[in-house]
Amino acid sequence: MQDLTMQLRDTARSLLRDGKVGLVIGYEHGSVLLRTKPCFVRNADDTDRLVWSPLCENNIASYLLSIKGRTAVFVKGCDARALLCAISEGQIRREDVTIVAMPCEGVLDRRKLAERLQGRQISGGTVQDGKVTVVGQGFSESYPLSELLPVGCVHCTHRTAPVFDIRIGDAAPEIEAIDDYADVKAFEALSPDEKRAYFRQELASCIRCFACRQACPLCYCVECFVDQTQPTWYHKTGDLSDTLLYHVVRALHLAGRCVGCGACSRACPMGIDLTVLNRRLLRDVQELYNYVSGLDPEAAPLLSAASPDDPQEFIK
Amino acid sequence: MTIVDQQTSTREIETPPESDWEPRIVAFICSWCSYTGADLAGTAGAQYPPNVRLIRVPCAGRLDLLFVLESLQRGIDGVLVVGCPPDHCHYGEGNLLAQRRFRLLKGLLEHVGVEPGRLHFSWVGASEGPKFARVASEVVESVRSLGPSRTLVRGMYAASRSALVE
Amino acid sequence: MDAKVITKEKLVELLDQFIRDYEVLAPVRQGDAVVFGQIQRGSDAALDVKRTTMSPKGAFFPQEEVLFIFDGVEAQVPTESGARVLFGVRPCDGRSLTVLDKVFDTAEYPTVYYGNQRERTFVVGVGCNQPPDTCFCTALGGEPFGKAGLDVLLSDLGDRYLVEALTEKGERLLEDSALLQDASEEDIKEGKILAREAREKLNVDLHIEELKAKLGGMFEDPIWAEISMSCLGCGACTYVCPTCHCFDIVDELVEVGGNSGRRVRVWDSCQYPLFTHHASGHNPRPSHRERMRQRIMHKFSYYVNNFGVIACVGCARCLTGCPVNLDIREVLLTLAER
Repeated sequence: MQDLTMQLRDTARSLLRDGKVGLVIGYEHGSVLLRTKPCFVRNADDTDRLVWSPLCENNIASYLLSIKGRTAVFVKGCDARALLCAISEGQIRREDVTIVAMPCEGVLDRRKLAERLQGRQISGGTVQDGKVTVVGQGFSESYPLSELLPVGCVHCTHRTAPVFDIRIGDAAPEIEAIDDYADVKAFEALSPDEKRAYFRQELASCIRCFACRQACPLCYCVECFVDQTQPTWYHKTGDLSDTLLYHVVRALHLAGRCVGCGACSRACPMGIDLTVLNRRLLRDVQELYNYVSGLDPEAAPLLSAASPDDPQEFIK
Repeated sequence: MTIVDQQTSTREIETPPESDWEPRIVAFICSWCSYTGADLAGTAGAQYPPNVRLIRVPCAGRLDLLFVLESLQRGIDGVLVVGCPPDHCHYGEGNLLAQRRFRLLKGLLEHVGVEPGRLHFSWVGASEGPKFARVASEVVESVRSLGPSRTLVRGMYAASRSALVE
Repeated sequence: MDAKVITKEKLVELLDQFIRDYEVLAPVRQGDAVVFGQIQRGSDAALDVKRTTMSPKGAFFPQEEVLFIFDGVEAQVPTESGARVLFGVRPCDGRSLTVLDKVFDTAEYPTVYYGNQRERTFVVGVGCNQPPDTCFCTALGGEPFGKAGLDVLLSDLGDRYLVEALTEKGERLLEDSALLQDASEEDIKEGKILAREAREKLNVDLHIEELKAKLGGMFEDPIWAEISMSCLGCGACTYVCPTCHCFDIVDELVEVGGNSGRRVRVWDSCQYPLFTHHASGHNPRPSHRERMRQRIMHKFSYYVNNFGVIACVGCARCLTGCPVNLDIREVLLTLAER
């Protein structure tokens, strides 16, 4: 990863120096241990701020929706797919973005780490060669990164950008098992009562802050349906029916678009796993229409077209 | 219609006890083939249950998934969407777009606990009066066997929040 | 009332005693988060948690609050009565109540809602022996064993708690409790040492005095654009913050076009674009830049001018909850050093 960081900085420096781009977006060290944060560099002399590691968790494709001008982004597979989806929807111009593909084998899930730490404070920590090592008062522990992956990474099918302009390092080896959506099938098999009970419990924690929506690179509507008042679909007062409505509709608005990056779950201050809904749609979209989003910047959005060959067994 | 409770949040008109309960179904039907078909059912004397209330849209492709969700939130027990048969859409392929959208909606709603058998989609041609009546009847019976809808209904979940301070 | 002590086992019994007489709210686990919720048994309180995910502000300023119910021209204000205990409040959160009081319960503008909740609640605090290293209450005039906003303060002395009634209400809550014993000189001394050591662990200086002096003149400073670049506008910071208090008011009618229903106040956030969206379509805070500036200036400049206190208690929930690690400590230092 050290070497990748060096290569990343060199690339950023030359892109800025040569005037190919006016801005580079990547990651820099965070303000707390074992954390990075999005980094915006305009000056070739500032590129030493940039880092690359399994701590680079945020989906930085979000920023390209509001930034104008030629920009380079150092992206993981999921970030790149979100970017390509936004390009296919006409939100970003392909020629404005220099996609630099980074190899990724998963990022650290800070919540899973916190579970291991059980409230103990750390004074130091590293993530290297697939291992997470933490030290604190009276303890020093190591865990395989593979045990501390967030939900998006556990099911990842595209670790490196499928379309890119520059690639740093070798493409990360794809996980051998194709996503078999076993979790979706298992949930599907529950009874309606069990399903209802699950969501009633999970969503009881939802404080409707909409961090999930904001963190999602593909939620970019100027007026979100929750803010519509004529008609009013979503009511602001506490009914769990409206909380469920919000999450269901947001998932539906991402049908055929969501790339499964998990930024939503990661942003949730209450730790709710929101991907349960998205994964059902990811499965259905793939199985019914053989469609995977974010692989081709010229692809037509899934719901903008339909085929007479679509499965129609549900139609009377 | 929502009734506002003093202590809890909105709740629906209480459904009568099980024995008197009649399923309430909303059917979104397109103005071209489907409406004509439904009308024909009437003039041909093909009976279908009064449980089905029709809401006309210009094209099935106009169906916003929020219409279905709003229906469920208000306590509607079943939803039927009817469009023109393939190749008959007045606007080209609105009917096909609708079926794709609807299929994904149905899958996701079933994932959150809406029983399979509440959400239906059908092609009804302009001359297919009897088909419309048959489909409508089938939907009513399918929903009747499931009982009142219990997912997404406003007001039902109020109790789970009452003990928590946010 | 003189200082008391209570063993850890007896504390759970004390909670059970409170539960018999009052509604008791304490930290409880809810999935991955810890919130303040009503407990039915003393043992349900999660007292090992250093910092709850959500602050206790919801006990006084709920996320949804019915202001009144109306029917034609008659209106009814729902009121909650009966005393209750809010248990396990950290001193930063206790202090946050004194900050919110400035807006919601003043002599000139008392409110039925917040004021009533404050009046009927005994606030029992617990000091922080080992503050998380992200905390910065000390930079803002607070401390890990601070007493502001609390009726009772508990200090964890290892196998027992030092129990100090800080107000007349606190004395009333604790009087006649057989579970409490008089504290010895040693106990009291240990409590003082604990408080001092905790304060020293949190030696954070964010140059707040410098910042207060210059912030007023920084409205047009280009630094705001830089600081807010990574902000997603998610509003999580405002929801977890113990002193953020912006709200929206909505009317819900029984029937469309009817004249009966209720008026409800709900939390809102200055970080949402719609927050300052005018009916004309103009928005004076059109981007993250203006909204970030608003948040910082409201807390560290406007509130100081209006009420004489900073509307931040250094609990660090915003920076630990922020999905992009936007750290208010870094923001404050950057601004102070401008």
